[in-house]
Amino acid sequence: MAAELLKGFRMLDLADDKGALCGKIFADLGADVIKIEPPGGCPTRLIPPFLEDRPGPDRSLYAIAYHAGKRSITLNLESAEGRDMLGALVRKADFLVESFAPGYLEGLGLGYAELDRLNPRLIYTSITPFGDTGPGRDYKAADIVTWAAGGMMFQMGDPGRPPLQMAQPQAGLHAGAEAAVASLIAHYPREIEGRGQHAVVNMQACIVWTLMNEQAMPLLHGDYLRRSGVFTGAIGGRRKTVFKCKDGYVSGLIAGGAYLPSTKALIGWMKEEGAAPDWLVKEGGLKDLTAAGFMSADAEALDELARAEAALEDFLSTKTKREIWQNILKRRILAAPVSTVADIAVDPQLKSREFFTEVEAPALQRKITLPGAFAKLSKTPIGPAGPPPGVGEHNQAVYGELLGLTPARLAELHAAGVI
Amino acid sequence: MRRYAFEGIHVLDFTWFAVGPVTTKYLADNGADVIRIESRARLDGLRMAPPWRDGKPGVDNSQFFASYNTSKKGLTLDMSKPEARAIFLKLLPWADVVTESFTPKTLRNWGLDYERMSAIKPDLIMLSTCMQGQTGPHRDYPGFGNLLAALSGFYYSGYSPDELCPPYGAYTDFIAPRFAACALMAALDYRRRAGQGQYIDMAQYEAALHFLAPALVDYFATGRVMEPQANDSARYAPHGAYRCADEDGHERWIALAVENDQEWTATLKVLGAASADMRLATFSGRIADRGSVDELVGGLTRTRHAEELTVALQTAGVSAYPVQNCMDLHRDENLEAFGFWHWLDHPHMGPSPYEGLEHRLSRTPGELRSPAPTVGQHNDEILTGMLGMTPAEIEQLKVDKVVF
Repeated sequence: MAAELLKGFRMLDLADDKGALCGKIFADLGADVIKIEPPGGCPTRLIPPFLEDRPGPDRSLYAIAYHAGKRSITLNLESAEGRDMLGALVRKADFLVESFAPGYLEGLGLGYAELDRLNPRLIYTSITPFGDTGPGRDYKAADIVTWAAGGMMFQMGDPGRPPLQMAQPQAGLHAGAEAAVASLIAHYPREIEGRGQHAVVNMQACIVWTLMNEQAMPLLHGDYLRRSGVFTGAIGGRRKTVFKCKDGYVSGLIAGGAYLPSTKALIGWMKEEGAAPDWLVKEGGLKDLTAAGFMSADAEALDELARAEAALEDFLSTKTKREIWQNILKRRILAAPVSTVADIAVDPQLKSREFFTEVEAPALQRKITLPGAFAKLSKTPIGPAGPPPGVGEHNQAVYGELLGLTPARLAELHAAGVI
Repeated sequence: MRRYAFEGIHVLDFTWFAVGPVTTKYLADNGADVIRIESRARLDGLRMAPPWRDGKPGVDNSQFFASYNTSKKGLTLDMSKPEARAIFLKLLPWADVVTESFTPKTLRNWGLDYERMSAIKPDLIMLSTCMQGQTGPHRDYPGFGNLLAALSGFYYSGYSPDELCPPYGAYTDFIAPRFAACALMAALDYRRRAGQGQYIDMAQYEAALHFLAPALVDYFATGRVMEPQANDSARYAPHGAYRCADEDGHERWIALAVENDQEWTATLKVLGAASADMRLATFSGRIADRGSVDELVGGLTRTRHAEELTVALQTAGVSAYPVQNCMDLHRDENLEAFGFWHWLDHPHMGPSPYEGLEHRLSRTPGELRSPAPTVGQHNDEILTGMLGMTPAEIEQLKVDKVVF
C-alpha cells in the first residue's frame, strides 16, 4: 500500500518528538521508513496521554499518530557492534533523520562526516532546538519551551494572565515537517549529481515562522505586539474574534477592509431575522467601517463596534454551530465554527473527500483512524502507509533483508543487548 | 556542481496571501525561477496589510507581502482579459510548475484547469491549494488561516473550557506550506524519474489536521474530546510560564518544563527554595497538585531576571527559556548564531531584516536571493526577454490594462 511517489527510497528515522513527523511524512509519500529505537523502545512511546489511559509501549497516542506506516527495529548505538550495524544500514539508505542533542552522534562516530564517507549519497538531517553553533546548542527543549523561545507563546492568552501553550504540543511538529522539506530539497540535486548533504533544522526558527506579520512590527512600527486573548488588534482597534453560540463558539470579525462585504452580510442576516438593533442598520452602516480601513482606533467608533459585537453575540446565542456554518457558507461570511475534534470527525466536507483513514493495528488488536492524505495527487496518491509498529517488530525482516542476518545471529545480538 | 537545489526549475505562480507564496518561496530561495503573476485589478491582500515601512500603507510598502515573496519575479496580467490569458499560455511551455491558491472556480472561469494546461505542457506539475480542497460541499469556502484554525480545532487552547484562546494570527497558514512543499518537491523528483507531471489538490484544512493527529486518533478510538488544558501537561510538572522581574517596565516570563525528580531537585536549588514541600517531591505528587507547584515556582521566579534564570536552569539540566516577545527575537543570540535574520534592501522599502530559512543545507544552501518584486517590476524583462515583445507592444498592453 506504499505510495509510488517515493517508492524505493529508504529513510532511517532516529528522531524523537522533535521530529517524528518527518518520517511520518516520508512514509505517507511512499518511502520505506525504518524507525531505529534503543532496545526497550523509543522515548516517544512514553508520551502521555495513552489510548484508553492505559500506559504501554504501543499505546501512546503521540506514537500511534506519528509512527504509523514506519517499520521498527531496535539497535543499541552505545555498543560498538550496534554502531557498525548502523553504518551497514546507512549504506542501504537514502535519508537519515535524527534529533539527538547536537554532537551526540558525532561523539559516537556517527556524525555526518563519518556517515558521508560510508555513503556519499546520504542526506543526513539533524533537528536541533536552538541550532548547532549558538550558546544554546546544548539547551534542553521541551515543546513549551521552544514555543516560548520562538515568540508564539507571548502572543497567546489574556493580558495580565500567563501566556499560553497551544492545544497540543506543536513545536516538534513544525520542526519535523520542516525536516521533511529540507530533506526533499536536498533530494532533488542528489538524484542528479549523486551527492547527499547535511541539513540542520532549527526548531526555534520554525516557531518564529509561525508569527505571521509580527516579526517586522518592532522595526517598522516601533513596538512589539502584546497578547490580547480573543481580541485582535494589531494596529489600533480591538475587535472580538470569538463569539458564544447555542452549543459552543464561532469565530468571526466585524471589520472593514477585506472583511467589509462579510460584515454587511452578517448584519444583513441579523436584519432578516429581526435581530439587528435599529442603530446598527441605520443609513451608512457602522461608523468608520470602510473598504479601505480594516480597523478603526477612533474611540466613538470602537464603542459602537463593541455594542455591535454584543448584539451579534446575542443573535448567535440563539443559533447552533451547524446553523451558523450553513449561513456562513450560503452568505459568504468570513467566519467559522470553533470546531471540537468531535465536530471535525463528522464534517461532511472531510467525509466527501474520504479524508480519515482506518487502519488495522495488530499491536493494539483494533482498528485506529488516522488523518488521511495531506494532499491529493492525481498520478501517485499518497496517504497513511500502515499501522504504527511494535518495538522491534521488523528486526527480522529488516536485518534479514538489508544485512543478510540470520535468525540465529539475531538471537545472539539480542542476547548481547545490541538489538 | 549546482549552486542551488532547484536551479533550472521554472514556476508560474498565481498564489496569494500566505500559504501559496510561502510554499513557492521554498523553491525560489533554492534557485527556482519563480514568476509571480498578479494584477492591480485584484491585488494580493498582503500588499495592503501591515507592517508598513514608516507606518505608511502602500502596495510596495508592506513587509507582510515582502517576507513571503523573496527571490521571485513579478509580472502583472489581468487574467480576466482574454489577451492576458493568451500571454500566459505563451509562457506556459517554459514552466515546470504552475501554482495557484484561489477558490476552486477562479481558474476554471479562466478556462485554465489542469487538463487544458497539460494538453499544452504534458509533464506539467500543478499545485492548487485552497482552504478545504477542490472537491466537496465546502470547496468554495473563502477564508483566512485564522478562521481555518478555528475550524480545524486549534482554538481549543485556553485557561479553561469556558475560556478558549486562539493562536495568534493565521496559524494554519504556517502549517500548510510545509506539507505543500513536500508534495510539490517529491512530485518534481518523480517527474524527473518517471517523466510524468501531475495535479496536486492540497486542502489546507487536511494538512493542518495532521498537527492534531493524537487528539483525533483518541476521539475516534474512545470518544474523548480534546479540551483546553491551560499550561498543564501530563508529561511535565511544573510546566508553564512563570512571571519574572519586570525589565524597563516590560513584563517578563520564563517557560520551564520539569520531567523528573532529578530535574525538580535541580530546579529548587537554582530557585533557592528554602524548604521543599515533600508532597511535591515525586512526579505523581506534583501532577496531582499542579496548583501548589505553580504557586511555589511562580513565587520564586517573580524576582528573578528571565535570561539569567534561563542560563542557570539550563546549566542545571532543566529545560527553560524566556517567553520572548518580538523585540527579543531580534536580539536572540541563538537565532543570531544560526544566521536567521537576513537583511534585504528592497527597492521601495529600503533595508530591513527578514525571516531567514529554518534550516541550513551544507552543500546547496538556499538563501533569500533578492527582495520581493514591486507590482509589475519585471514586466518588461519577462515580456521582452521571454516572449520577444517590442516596447511598443508592451506599451499598448499597458494602455489596454492587460499588463496591469
